[in-house]
Amino acid sequence: MMRTVPIKVVLLGDGRVGKTSLVLRYVNATFSEQQTPTIQASYLTKRLNFNGAMVTLAIWDTAGQERFHALGPIYYRDADAALLVYDITDKDSFDRVKSWVKELRKMAPKDIILAIAGNKCDMNSQVDLKDSERYAASIGSSHFNTSAKSNIGIEETFLDIARRVLEQKKALAENVPASTQRKTMVIIDEPPPPPPPSKCCS
Amino acid sequence: MLARYLVEMSKCYTRGRKVFCDDSHSSLVVDIKSINQFGISSISGMRTSSCSWDGDKQEVFVPEFEPGPVPPARPVDKYGFVKSEPGSSIPDMSSKSKPKTDREREERRLQKWRKMIGVGGVDWKCYVRKKPQVVKRRIRKGIPDCLRGLVWQLISGSRDLLLLNQGVYEQLVLYETSASELDIIRDISRTFPSHVYFQQRHGPGQRSLYNVLKAYSVYDRDVGYVQGMGFLAGLLLLYMSEEDAFWLLVALLKGAVHAPMEGLYLAGLPLVQQYLFQFDRLVHELLPRLGSHFDEETINPSMYASQWFITVFSYSFPFPLALRIWDVFLYEGVKIIFRVGLALLKYCQEDLLKLPFEKLVHALRNFPEDALQPNVLLPMAYSLKVSRTLEELKQEYLGVNNMLPQLQPVRLSISKDQRPSKQKREESLNIRT
Repeated sequence: MMRTVPIKVVLLGDGRVGKTSLVLRYVNATFSEQQTPTIQASYLTKRLNFNGAMVTLAIWDTAGQERFHALGPIYYRDADAALLVYDITDKDSFDRVKSWVKELRKMAPKDIILAIAGNKCDMNSQVDLKDSERYAASIGSSHFNTSAKSNIGIEETFLDIARRVLEQKKALAENVPASTQRKTMVIIDEPPPPPPPSKCCS
Repeated sequence: MLARYLVEMSKCYTRGRKVFCDDSHSSLVVDIKSINQFGISSISGMRTSSCSWDGDKQEVFVPEFEPGPVPPARPVDKYGFVKSEPGSSIPDMSSKSKPKTDREREERRLQKWRKMIGVGGVDWKCYVRKKPQVVKRRIRKGIPDCLRGLVWQLISGSRDLLLLNQGVYEQLVLYETSASELDIIRDISRTFPSHVYFQQRHGPGQRSLYNVLKAYSVYDRDVGYVQGMGFLAGLLLLYMSEEDAFWLLVALLKGAVHAPMEGLYLAGLPLVQQYLFQFDRLVHELLPRLGSHFDEETINPSMYASQWFITVFSYSFPFPLALRIWDVFLYEGVKIIFRVGLALLKYCQEDLLKLPFEKLVHALRNFPEDALQPNVLLPMAYSLKVSRTLEELKQEYLGVNNMLPQLQPVRLSISKDQRPSKQKREESLNIRT
């Protein structure tokens, strides 16, 4: 029976850095210059066939403005991965990524997979790319330059997340005794899903 | 730091001085211009200043007050929303398509309303005192659109605030600076982008929206600017001047007539948390099957209802429905938000009960068109009795969370020459409608 592995990804980052635009580009292949601000988290899914494994990315796109973080923990408490987004034209938004990492260390699962996306890479950067990559490496995160507007780097970012989560789940399944295995790996045994539309496959 | 830099720049601009900046800041030029153009309000349309920057050791003059190009004319509905945009598909209710009897009925209704409020609202208070139930019934049927702006100001208490605080708004817009200016500017073009009034870059709609939000962020620095407030201000600006819209915002957030709403926007969003607690319990009480289904599917009201409270249904609901909700909201208070939310769930209950988590989340943000018809949804909402339970749940919530500050209505008024510091505001407040 075909297994579908659900992967829960949460998007975090300052307001207006382009979290919603990234997700909408990835899931719906759309982009709007005037994306309305996200007031409450929204949920989107994307199905992937990852080297023969069926994966469902369940993506929570959260409200970025700091004031809304009071409503945030339910979205990252049990996430498999967090995609931390900043705006390369706004240095402050990169600092927010660092504070998000601290928050996740406290509130999220210990083994949460991290990825950082420097969005709006179609514009001139105010952030030193080497600094960002060095920081990403120091926390065990990957780093991507993305542009929702020009559709750059987004597919790669989510694929990287899916790959690393799958690797982690596989390693856990191999190393951890069977009794705890069930707790850490959620496998839904269900009839094989209909073949996903070709645009969702990679 | 960036924000402070921009504020400083904007001060220089508004004083009409030359400003220089180096290459590293050249990408900020658009924002700086924005501050300048927005910052000088339409209430001082005669103010001028010139500015320049020296990016490549060469002066470039930026013309003042230069709005962007007027967007091409496109068909709009009767409220001014561009028809082709998704999410604003509003049924055409224009008078042309209505039968004659409907038009006659509307005309009669309008006459009743005009009689009730008197010229410029002079008879309003008297009428409300004498026949509160008539007023309530008529408001629930919908305020005639041409009188909506005036009536909203009368029922919210904002008209009294404006009269008691003449000159304050101008001071807030022109002479105060706010740490939120950059945040506000970045959101301006993202607020009601499908409405013609807000489409032109730096046009009158965007400028008014900026001014109202900036003024509020100065007036109440604890709240400042929170995303979502733009939709409140934007909705109001479609029916009144920016100064009127500002005082209506004050009346709502500070509680001129009903309980203050500022807790929806303060750090920690205490009132959102309380309302979500109350809403969750009401769902379980009034719609127990749906409540259990939500529990099984781990659906939490913050996943679908927080924007209902934070923007009073102005964020993503069809505009005609939002207006009808606002009519009742301003007269009867926040209770209507609970009622409309519960009515929506009740109307769609049988469908929602069949859905698993993933589809539920989607359905709770995309209600079917027939559920969003004001004349279907609102009578259902009025029939739901929630007052007593709401009060009990509030006490229960505050009992559990006794750390939360109790937000009480404050009396509002600022004398003209006072700086709007919080302390002084509280000392001098003396009106309550």
